[in-house]
Amino acid sequence: MNFKIYKTFKGLLLLTFALLTLQVFAQTGEVTGKITDEKGGPLPGVTVQAKSGASTISAPDGTFRLRNVPAGESLTFSSVGYTAKTVNAGNKGTVSISLDATASTLNDVVVVGYGTQTKKAVTGSVVSVGFDRFKDRSFSNVTQALAGQVAGVNITQAQGAPGQSPIIRIRGISSITAGTNPLMVVDGVPLENFNLNMINPQDIESVEVLKDASSAAIYGSRGANGVIIITTKLGKAGRSTVSAGYEYGIQKVTRKVNMMDAQQWIQYYIDAHNNAWVDLGGGRQAGDPNSVRPSNYKIPEDFITNPAQFGKGTDWQDVMFRTAPSQNAQVSVSGGTDKTQFLFSTAYLSQDAVLDRNYYKRLTLRSNIRHKVSEKVNVGLNLGVTAIYDRTDGTQGKSDVISLGIQSDPIFPVYNENGNLGYRDPNSVWNRFISYGDMNLWHPYSLTRFIDKQNKSFNTLGTGFLEYSIIKGLKFRSSISANLANSKNDFYVFKNQGYGYSSLLNSSASTGNSFMLNWLTENTLNYDKHFGDHSLNILAGYTAQEQRDEAAGASAAGFANDLVQTLNAGTTYNGVSSFATEWSMLSYLSRVNYNFKNKYFLSGAIRRDGSSRFGSQRRWGYFPSMSAGWVVSDEDFMKNVNAINFLKFRASYGMSGNNQIPNYGAISLLGASNANYASGGTLLNGQSVTTIPNELLRWEKTSQFNIGFDMRFLKNRVNLSADFYNSITKDMLLNVPIPDITGFSTQLTNIGRMQNRGVELALTTKNVVGDFNWTTDVNFSLNRNKVLQLGPGNAPIIYTDYAVAVKTEVGQPISNFYGYVFDGVFKNQKEIDGYPHDATTKPGDPIVRDVNNDGKITGDDRTNIGNYQPDFIGGITNTFSYKGLEVSAMLQGSFGGEITNQNVRYLGWWNNGRNMFSGVVNRWRSEAEPGDGKHFRATLANTGLQSQYSNYWVEDASFVRIKNIRISYTLPEKLLARTPLKNTRIYINAENVHLFSKYINYDPENTTYNATSYSAGANGLAPSGIQAPSGAFIGVDYGSYPVPRIITFGIKTDL
Amino acid sequence: MKTISRILAFCFLAVMAFSCKKSFLERAPISNANAENFFKTKADFDLAVNAAYNSLYTTYHPEGPVSYVSEQMSDNAIVYNISGIEADKWAFKDYALRPNNTMLYQFWQECYKGLYNINVVLSKIDGAEVEAAYKEGVKAELMFLRGLQYFNLVRIWGDVPVVLTPLTGEESYAVSRSTQADVYAQIIKDVQFAAEKLPLQSKITVKGKASKGAAQTLLGKIYITMGDKAKAATVLTEVVNSKEYDLLPTYAALWGGNVKNTKESIFEIQHIGGNPANPYSRYHQGFFPNTNIFQFYGGGMNQVTDDLWNEYETGDVRQDISISKGYQNGNVFVAQKFPKKWLDANAVVQGGTAYASNNFMVLRYADALLMLAEATGNAASLNLVRARAGMPLFGTASYPTAKYPTLELAIEHERRVELALEFHRWFDLKRTNRAIPVLSAKGKAITQDKLLVPVPEIVRQQNPVITQNKGY
Repeated sequence: MNFKIYKTFKGLLLLTFALLTLQVFAQTGEVTGKITDEKGGPLPGVTVQAKSGASTISAPDGTFRLRNVPAGESLTFSSVGYTAKTVNAGNKGTVSISLDATASTLNDVVVVGYGTQTKKAVTGSVVSVGFDRFKDRSFSNVTQALAGQVAGVNITQAQGAPGQSPIIRIRGISSITAGTNPLMVVDGVPLENFNLNMINPQDIESVEVLKDASSAAIYGSRGANGVIIITTKLGKAGRSTVSAGYEYGIQKVTRKVNMMDAQQWIQYYIDAHNNAWVDLGGGRQAGDPNSVRPSNYKIPEDFITNPAQFGKGTDWQDVMFRTAPSQNAQVSVSGGTDKTQFLFSTAYLSQDAVLDRNYYKRLTLRSNIRHKVSEKVNVGLNLGVTAIYDRTDGTQGKSDVISLGIQSDPIFPVYNENGNLGYRDPNSVWNRFISYGDMNLWHPYSLTRFIDKQNKSFNTLGTGFLEYSIIKGLKFRSSISANLANSKNDFYVFKNQGYGYSSLLNSSASTGNSFMLNWLTENTLNYDKHFGDHSLNILAGYTAQEQRDEAAGASAAGFANDLVQTLNAGTTYNGVSSFATEWSMLSYLSRVNYNFKNKYFLSGAIRRDGSSRFGSQRRWGYFPSMSAGWVVSDEDFMKNVNAINFLKFRASYGMSGNNQIPNYGAISLLGASNANYASGGTLLNGQSVTTIPNELLRWEKTSQFNIGFDMRFLKNRVNLSADFYNSITKDMLLNVPIPDITGFSTQLTNIGRMQNRGVELALTTKNVVGDFNWTTDVNFSLNRNKVLQLGPGNAPIIYTDYAVAVKTEVGQPISNFYGYVFDGVFKNQKEIDGYPHDATTKPGDPIVRDVNNDGKITGDDRTNIGNYQPDFIGGITNTFSYKGLEVSAMLQGSFGGEITNQNVRYLGWWNNGRNMFSGVVNRWRSEAEPGDGKHFRATLANTGLQSQYSNYWVEDASFVRIKNIRISYTLPEKLLARTPLKNTRIYINAENVHLFSKYINYDPENTTYNATSYSAGANGLAPSGIQAPSGAFIGVDYGSYPVPRIITFGIKTDL
Repeated sequence: MKTISRILAFCFLAVMAFSCKKSFLERAPISNANAENFFKTKADFDLAVNAAYNSLYTTYHPEGPVSYVSEQMSDNAIVYNISGIEADKWAFKDYALRPNNTMLYQFWQECYKGLYNINVVLSKIDGAEVEAAYKEGVKAELMFLRGLQYFNLVRIWGDVPVVLTPLTGEESYAVSRSTQADVYAQIIKDVQFAAEKLPLQSKITVKGKASKGAAQTLLGKIYITMGDKAKAATVLTEVVNSKEYDLLPTYAALWGGNVKNTKESIFEIQHIGGNPANPYSRYHQGFFPNTNIFQFYGGGMNQVTDDLWNEYETGDVRQDISISKGYQNGNVFVAQKFPKKWLDANAVVQGGTAYASNNFMVLRYADALLMLAEATGNAASLNLVRARAGMPLFGTASYPTAKYPTLELAIEHERRVELALEFHRWFDLKRTNRAIPVLSAKGKAITQDKLLVPVPEIVRQQNPVITQNKGY
């Protein structure tokens, strides 16, 4: 029975195939045959090319039929991943042949800017990650799956909400003010700050990371942060495949922040009030009753007479987090003929977030087609459409759900006796606490259930191209691409929010939408020439790109009730605005690749970019690069060195740029905000100058020198790549602090230099080969970042946001944490008297180190207390396979960096009655009870510099994470023989399995501030400080979203 | 093949089209105006002058430099629980200001930003093709504003850099702090010009713009601060004789959301409430205790001390008009005193903010009269103020002479209660050299050095020629 189905299916395919090929070839001599692999299995999709021009592709059962073949003709059989063979067809009419898999992956093609290269020919530093490496990972953004896998690329998951893109740093950080995100190139379209969630990872064939400047230089002014190239799939000729997959996942927050329970917090509250009261002096005693105390020193009677009634109280993290399911379904059809190849796919992801009422739903559609119009002309169209509906709370840090939930006092119940959320309910017994100004409740549900909101994002990315072979070897390619992105967000706050928020607010609503159109035209000529031992490839091109962003928003208040939430139901309108910005870019590019005997490689490239963002005097910039490679192992003198199978040295030098500044950064702008005045009741409009012009503003340039080698030895079982680089960024685009007496704090100027130096190692070993395979991948990277020069007088740059200060100074890495050093706690007055101290210091306050030894504690005693950049990062992946079973486990580590726990500002010392970290239980209480020597006493006034930014806030960010465990089982064909299913796999994938870290917040990778970017749609906290780039505060965690553990179960099958 | 040739030809043409089109890379800002094309017409200057007046909103903000220094550093106000960067805000009342205080740096930035908005207009107006009378009017208004701004700066920081034109970054490194005497000389030059050129209050069509009387009263305040009582007396007498101003019949009539530009008002910052797009009045909300029972978040600034409350004589109506004793929260009355003068009962409250309409009087006639009494030593004008409040006159039997035996002390007392919480107290105590005796008697840790605040450390890091005040 099953045989019958199989035969029918085969017959149908053959028929289709025959029909498709029929018209192409004339009817003369015919050769038929079957192509097999080493093990005798049928090999479909092999190109069979007769010398005289006829060609065909083998069918799913490995058979082929080639007509119009003269007698004695030689046939070439080739297929990606197999060593090509040429045989003489003779007069037999049948040829059966077996092809050997290519011994190495060196002939694999790597996508580089504006073309492809074989791995062997790569002379820069390019890493290619194929689909197999991320196919079962459950992430919505492919770069999340790359974390810990690529040397030199630090990918950190700053926040754990679904759809949050990670922060990607390729070879350190190259800019202080300009954007620091790598350039994304999707199917050839360079897009700044592109959200990769818009591309379904299942549609991606490969991800290439261009790390060194010589590789990135072909992207000129946008390459300095590295380039990530995404190439989507295309069907292979000869076989139509229907693939389907389904995944079910569960997500859970496994690592909570340890907070005080109600009893611990009440004790803290009482201590703080009593200590502050006694501090006032004049014989005031801790036992003084409320009647003699002013309101802010009063303690609720409940706390003193019957604290037990509160029990352990509420753990707000248990309230807001849940175990959340996710589902992901995917279908794709791919295949083609010699003339036309295609891929159609669709996928739907529906993910509940671990945070209450939050979700992320994504629908993706893709159609990639390539068609040969004639022998000389190819056309194609890649089209991807994505729609995302999501609700994402908790990523804005300090005043968003997660941070506020943790700050909420544990004494309050989840629901009061009336079923409402909070003590602000006037009819609740809890309302008695309203008279204390220092009680806090931001009930998570007041924000997740009494605010309705949704974001909708739509993205269409299409590239149409035409390739024309003008003469042999000379190809013209022209493409037009468009990226259209729309988004809309709606927001509605219910009146009083169930009494669960910090105040009772009237209902209000807002709506916003944005539009972005980016179009690009690229026209390139590519010339390939082989003569003798020489091989030459020349590329020349011209591109034009333009982007326009528009956004509009409005909000309303005065809703009669909560029944209608759209703005039409409001009675007053405010915050109505819209704006638009544009940029444009013209580029000329050229590259020459030359090799001799496929042994000596030389490459040179140059790009000339012109951008509307720059000063009229400095609009154009040149970005040249050079690289060379030498395959030593192909030299005669290496022939006898059997231990080494392959050895190549690479060296490159190039210059790339950074253009990520505001669109009109070079122009002096006028603004209407904070410029109006009034007269009586009449508004007087005003305009003021908001930015200083700089006509000389130009590109930030990074030049990088890279040397490295790739080596395989011990019978190809060990594969080692190493790179060393040294990069210097000059003409840094810096918001240089200028004296404020100019009326401005900063001016965007090209000034200063910065260095990044580093080492990268990637090692793959095949430990056991055979039926049982064990492979280990190890990567290690080390980057040292150093500021070499800053603005006038090398004045350091200090940015401060809510007490946290970061200092950038010459000779140091960018953004050192800058604060006091606390050396423990003063046990008694005698200790205070014996050491320099602030005048307000009392026993139990921190011992502030007199860093400059001047006998006084002043601002000059602040010093560098850490930096978020790790000393080194690495990853180890072990993969075991036995027949259909494959198990892999990945460890990821980061060592030597620090993180600032900015939530200390709320949870580490008295801040108006918020809940506290449980560690504060071990505080100084009296000389007899000095605590753990780290946590200082409770008080309302934060005496003795308690509240100043210090090493009390800074923690070791080193961690080891079991990042991924994956078990996959391919069902034996025998089992599926009765079904139409083929290649069926079931798998379990676990992400973020376990974290080893001492950090007291959720995750040492958490960063609440965005990487600096100048595009719309960023999600995260922007510093409140004037003109501070948000990227300056990376490594500062101000109440971030935890990264959950995700376990998915999946099945994938081909029909 | 033909089609393909056509496509290719089109592509090349497209390439050529972009190559030739230089303007493809020239993008004018869409949602902001380009400053290059500005400062040409009268309408442009009107807009820019309004922006210069806007700086009054930051300088006299309830959370601005004048508010913090004048009230919190005096014996009038204290702060308890507040929002934002608490430690840096608390530092004012405790004289615990450090050079890294972020509020101080913000104030410094805002003051000089305001000065830039003034200077940029002054630098462009001379070359503009607008009528001479208009030019002179604009210059006089802006020089009044500049004088006022430097007067605040010099009283808060002492020596400060004097900037009179827009500076480039490079130029600014050469500007160090001018001595207080030089700063005052510049202030007098500006304000004298304004006093000469500005029209009388009654001649001003756009209410709220600076008048001759405003400049003269400011000049009086500057002279009296410098200790030149004779000049102060002369110019303040001119204000009185101009008959442009008068005391309102009752103290209560001075306050309310709709009370604007009265006969008593000499220079008044204009606000419009109602919605966030308007320059609404932030005083009541800013001074309301740090709670949100009335739908808006009280800022908790300048909470009133018992000491100020007790300064009022029994039966002085100004006490209740100026100060709230607390607020009702559910069944509980929270007894925390806070300023009441800028309450707007009709303010629209939306999204946690009260959009109030109250104006803020920087200079008013009662202030001028009290300064005149101080400058001349004649109690007559002091008694006008007391009479309006319904209080016994100085020199009469029922005056509390035991408490305020001299005219100086009587004026000090009267200024404190009449002008309570209107951003005068600290400056009054300083200029009469009474700050240290008065405040230290009340247990505050005042020293000579604390009479000036420190120069923000960032300012000195940016430009090392900027010196620090003594004691910091």
